[in-house]
Amino acid sequence: MKKKISALKNKYESTIVWLIGFLVIWEIGAYIVEGTKRSPENVLPHIYQIVGSVFRTELVNGSQTLFQIVLSNMGITLFRALIGYLIGAAAGYLLAMLMNLFRPLEKMIFPYLMLIQMIPILGMAPIVLAVTKDIDKSRIIIAAILTFYPVATNTLAGLKAVGPQRVELMHSLAAGQIEIYKKLLIPSSLPYVFTGLKISAPMAITASILVDTLQGGGGLGCILSQSLKHATSIYIFWQIVLFSAVIGIASYYGISLIERIVNPAMKKRGSV
Amino acid sequence: MMKRKNLTGKKAITVLLSTAILATLLSGCGKEEAAASVVVDEAATEEVVTDETVATEEVTEAVSEAAESTGPYYDSGSDVESIVIDAAEKGKVGNWGLGNEYEVQALLSKYGQDTAYLSQAFDMDGFDDDSISLASAMTYNELGLIKNDYEGGYGYADTVSFIDMNEEGVAMLEDNLFCNAAFAEENPNTVKAFIYASMKGWEYACANPEEAAEIVYKYGSSVSAQHQAYMAGEVKKLVETDTKGVAVSEYGKMDEEAMQQTLDLAKTYIKLDDSAAADKLASLTLDEIRSTSYWEEAMASEGELGAPEKAEVSIQLKWLPQAQFMGYYVALDKGYYDEVGLKVNIVSGGGDIGETTAVYSGQVDFGVTWVSNLIAANAGGMDLLEIAQVYQRSGLVLVYKLNQ
Amino acid sequence: MGKKNPYRKERILSILYPAGFALVLLISWQTQILHKILGTDTFTLPLPIRILTIMMDNSSDILTDVAATLIVALTGLLLGSVLGYLLAVLATALPRWGMGGLNMASAFSAVPIIAIAPIMTNLTKDVSDDPNIRSMVAKILVVMLTCTVSMSTNAYRGFIELKPFSKDLMKSYAAGSWTIFEKLRIPNCMPYIFTALKVSVPASIISALVSEYFAEYIIGVGRQIRENIVLAQYATAWAYIITACLMGIVMYGCLMLAETIMLKGRRT
Repeated sequence: MKKKISALKNKYESTIVWLIGFLVIWEIGAYIVEGTKRSPENVLPHIYQIVGSVFRTELVNGSQTLFQIVLSNMGITLFRALIGYLIGAAAGYLLAMLMNLFRPLEKMIFPYLMLIQMIPILGMAPIVLAVTKDIDKSRIIIAAILTFYPVATNTLAGLKAVGPQRVELMHSLAAGQIEIYKKLLIPSSLPYVFTGLKISAPMAITASILVDTLQGGGGLGCILSQSLKHATSIYIFWQIVLFSAVIGIASYYGISLIERIVNPAMKKRGSV
Repeated sequence: MMKRKNLTGKKAITVLLSTAILATLLSGCGKEEAAASVVVDEAATEEVVTDETVATEEVTEAVSEAAESTGPYYDSGSDVESIVIDAAEKGKVGNWGLGNEYEVQALLSKYGQDTAYLSQAFDMDGFDDDSISLASAMTYNELGLIKNDYEGGYGYADTVSFIDMNEEGVAMLEDNLFCNAAFAEENPNTVKAFIYASMKGWEYACANPEEAAEIVYKYGSSVSAQHQAYMAGEVKKLVETDTKGVAVSEYGKMDEEAMQQTLDLAKTYIKLDDSAAADKLASLTLDEIRSTSYWEEAMASEGELGAPEKAEVSIQLKWLPQAQFMGYYVALDKGYYDEVGLKVNIVSGGGDIGETTAVYSGQVDFGVTWVSNLIAANAGGMDLLEIAQVYQRSGLVLVYKLNQ
Repeated sequence: MGKKNPYRKERILSILYPAGFALVLLISWQTQILHKILGTDTFTLPLPIRILTIMMDNSSDILTDVAATLIVALTGLLLGSVLGYLLAVLATALPRWGMGGLNMASAFSAVPIIAIAPIMTNLTKDVSDDPNIRSMVAKILVVMLTCTVSMSTNAYRGFIELKPFSKDLMKSYAAGSWTIFEKLRIPNCMPYIFTALKVSVPASIISALVSEYFAEYIIGVGRQIRENIVLAQYATAWAYIITACLMGIVMYGCLMLAETIMLKGRRT
């Protein structure tokens, strides 16, 4: 127990050391850029300048400071990411179930699931827009499409990882199909489902930022491209770069935390 | 399988590789251009005491003196031809592409150059760091950012000059008002009412650009207040002057000659890979892209246009909410839309799903686009109809730095 | 001969089913049944024959773009995978320090490509005077970053998740940690490398396409997709979208083939 704790501490220590190393390299880079470029803040600003911009108090648009703009748009993006993620995860899970139930279906569509990932969203977007006639609904649907794949594949792998012997055993105990799923397949595939969920959580956020840029309105992607177009302070861009890394990581650990809460209970039920 | 190597060797490789990558990243920034940036820095700090405000007329007068180069940039007073040829030969002409490039290509062709150009990001960093020496800019936006030194600006003041597309005879008309042809047919009163109120908004905005800029800012544009004010002043010029420099008093008028020039240039420079679309483009006439009747009837009326068929309408802008579109914001703010019985929602643009797609798909009813984009969309198979031409001259310029 | 081989039947079925699905999809697409289901029209989703015609008409231009995109995707994939693998080696050899490196790598992957691509374009401005070369470097760096993460996390798992007792067995033979690494960890890692590549290969194409949106030099399948979508030339855009998908399928197919050959005789 004690050993485990100290190992954990080391893990964080090394992350911090890496982080410091990275920051040092960034700062050296920023120093070089500052000396040679006319507008260094567009290429690589100092970290303290980015952090400083978070605390700036002057209003940038009619009513908000830089940080308030980033925060309010982050809310919009995260909300869309969350809904897209839930829809995508549910769809992925159901699809995996269906594919496990009907093997021909799996053979038929599994190769295409990978392919859907390869269609650039710019190609998908006009079709989705033509169907929904609403850019925000389209954004959520596209975010869902971009995130369902890891959940689907991992769930399917989890369902298959349950050996046929165990399914046979359940059959011999006269358990019905529903019973088998409820008692055996669903609980034992859970760790795999969570692997999928953990992979797709940060993906949902990057996907949501990406679909923001399809059109105007609100969202991190929108203000990111506005900032790149110099329609507003470039520090909005840099803040988003930093924050998106932080939220991405946080989403991963958030799902891990949920897994830890859900799993102990499942273990008990899983050991039939 | 693998040869025996010691582990430290591998570690060393890891370290080497990662440092090598970082080094490539960073060293690049240090090299080169030290000299160039020094020149620029001095220029910027000198505050330019001389009163050489480089008016466009001076530049385009084509004083073909054998310009002796005194620095890495262009001398003030050098003729347009020599600048264009020099930049084109160095491969340093920049444009954003994505349907904004035709005027630049027409200019390059005019001076016998290849129509290739560098892709310019939607900022002026490439111009700033000299990877582009002849950069595209809109008079009301990028040119202001280059010259001014408020946030987001580059502060070049009068150390830059520009080539004007209107004066070079390669102007194409830009911001207009359009909708689906079928929509106009089914909702003539809505269309006329929308045109009437919008043009009233433009008229007020051009009479009071400072107030218009404040209104746009109030509606949540994140463009800084100073840049917004600059923009409003420049947009006013584009709305009230035609391609020949003659004042225009009728807001939204579709000038036949300028429209035809736009269509002709579009046919020459829009390159479509789809042979069906290319054929359609070649045969396109003005009547297939615009209708003057809605505008004429709207302007002839005194706002008495009959009940609109559709009272709740939306308009998609071509770009981010900014003073470029001040007329619509003013019409909304001053209640001009209410007066004609319309409830209007302004949708900002700037994403890759363009205004043409948004209107075509029925997501919005009206849109603001460039005439060339509308031409390309109709060639591709959309059936869009221009109903008013807000900008009477091209706002596109090619900007270059001056030797000091 | 002629004997029914259940394994073979299974294989034939696994080709027939997707092929059948593709056929149904294509037919319903060409006959516009698909359009009715989706509620869209032939402008937004052009018919296959028209897309194919455009692809045939412009095959040489398309090939130039494919070559440009493939160079970026493959170089980035290679560099990113090697870097990720080395990072995993580091994490295994020095777990105390390596783990932090893995965490950093996953933090990078949480930054969207649309934010990384413009940074890279700006940072590589002085790499070369030739805009084609410096854009290529910028694009490769973007692809590399996306590919590093999946390789490093998967390869690390491959090094760590050994068969039970195998490490103890090696130790009982007095094998040093390098021997364990060479004889046990590296072979154990092979399937995990392929797992990583199955993620990286599609990701490398997508990030190559997106990085082209921001590149200075105008070339590549992704750039063509964007130009044509923005200009509302949907049929042409779809010709390039199909091209991008074909590139993905071919690369994925090559990967599967390599996997079958490399992992032959292994139980998976």
